[in-house]
Amino acid sequence: MRRILIVDDDDNQRLLYRELFEEDGYEVIDAGDGRAALAVIERDPPDVVILDINMPGMDGLQTLTRIHDLNRALPVILHSAYAAYKDQFVSWIADAYVTKSSNPDDLTDAVRAVLAAKRVP
Amino acid sequence: MTPKRVGTMPISGWNRATLVMLLAGGQGERLYPLTKRRAKPAVPFGGMYRIIDFTLSNCLNSGLKRVFVLTQHKSLSLDRHIHAAWSILHPELGEFIQTVPPQLQLVSRWYAGTADAVFQNLDLLEEERPQHVLIVSGDHIYRMDYETLLQFHLQHDADLTIACTEVPRTEATRMGVVEADGDARVHAFTEKPAVPAPLPHESSRSLVNMGVYVFKTETLVRAVIADAKQESEHDFGRNIIPTLVRGQRRVMAFDIVTQCPPAHHYWQDVGTLDSYFEAHLELLLPQPPFDLFDASWPIRTHARQHPPALMRNAGQREARAVNSIVSPGCIVSGGSVVHSVLSPRVQVEAGAVVEESILMPGVRVGQGSHVRRAIVDENVVISPAVEIGCDHDADRRRFVVTDGGVVIVPEGTLMGHP
Repeated sequence: MRRILIVDDDDNQRLLYRELFEEDGYEVIDAGDGRAALAVIERDPPDVVILDINMPGMDGLQTLTRIHDLNRALPVILHSAYAAYKDQFVSWIADAYVTKSSNPDDLTDAVRAVLAAKRVP
Repeated sequence: MTPKRVGTMPISGWNRATLVMLLAGGQGERLYPLTKRRAKPAVPFGGMYRIIDFTLSNCLNSGLKRVFVLTQHKSLSLDRHIHAAWSILHPELGEFIQTVPPQLQLVSRWYAGTADAVFQNLDLLEEERPQHVLIVSGDHIYRMDYETLLQFHLQHDADLTIACTEVPRTEATRMGVVEADGDARVHAFTEKPAVPAPLPHESSRSLVNMGVYVFKTETLVRAVIADAKQESEHDFGRNIIPTLVRGQRRVMAFDIVTQCPPAHHYWQDVGTLDSYFEAHLELLLPQPPFDLFDASWPIRTHARQHPPALMRNAGQREARAVNSIVSPGCIVSGGSVVHSVLSPRVQVEAGAVVEESILMPGVRVGQGSHVRRAIVDENVVISPAVEIGCDHDADRRRFVVTDGGVVIVPEGTLMGHP
């Protein structure tokens, strides 16, 4: 089963996306901040990471570079309420950038596309 | 008056919109032992200069005044030199020549290659937000007006423009060979090919990469990020350029032989001991292909205060310097210097002979000693009646002797002392 790691400091958001992806047949793990996410990735890497940007402590862009340093092949999708981070070069390290919106298909489509590009079955 | 626009940028602002990244982090293994304690760009050259001065002079003479020098190994002497010689710009005006050691900000490793050095410094590009990035290195002796290159890049609306020169095909086997169509668009790029592609109009020569690139910033950033995520040597020549060419990006070749004046056609890689040595001998030719005295394109360096060079006889022995560079602070007392380069503060004593040699700062050649086809590193003291370069079997027991028969006497050597 394909494993997704959802990283978001908002409990409700984590719950929302957990339900969304579990319905689609993914195994979902979540983390409430960047450090917790890195610990999960070191212990048992998922197939894809969905990463919020505005988080207290280590933010999503910092977490992204740390993930790249740990495991450069691990696909990461940045997921933010703000589109402006897209202009920051470091955000281009991510495999996709999805703006948080009312349409959850944007995110599920991005996950499918990223996994297909990485040839994760 | 509205400035003339090419692409998206007014021509008048080309230099302000361009950031230079000078890659100075290589190990310089092929120049060892000259690089035992210093980075390759900090290796002295031409008596008064360091190798990096030629590239930095090109930047300054071309009006490019935003320069990051990315350092890594053994950077102390390079750092000191840049601070002493090149702290001449005004940060308040947004101008700088700034050395940057690895920040280990994005990843926790040394630079894995030239492209990785740029990748690891994405934050510099973020900060400066240039429209174009000129990538150069501190390995070559050449004059280039980067403005001509930048204008060519803009006029062709290129993603990447590679500065190229023409060399005999036999030499091209150790270089990156560029194949371009009649419009200068690059359609193939091969690193160190066994059979280099010839130039269309001259079958005995090939077009080769000089290691000088102009990128659109977005192209560069996307390319180094994509490369960082793959198994790769993280090298511009081996990885980034071939990928962009294969991906049908707009990669152009800027051939200096057709685009630049003849005085700017010289380009010499001084990355090996033999090429470094030969480049020095070329400075001493009656018509040097690289003229240090060309006032239209001055080469700047850090010149410490020294007394003028002094040539004086010692008893019956006449001091002599023929076809040689004799730098300030040198004293030749009744010695003979032929076809050689003396850096500052070199002393050649009575009866000593220095032939076809490069003596770095502070070298002393004692009475009656003979130095032939040698590179003698800083502050080496050669006692009286010592021979170097006269018997290669004897030399090899103590020193590196190159394929070209040049003896390298490393820093810290005291010769002939009890």
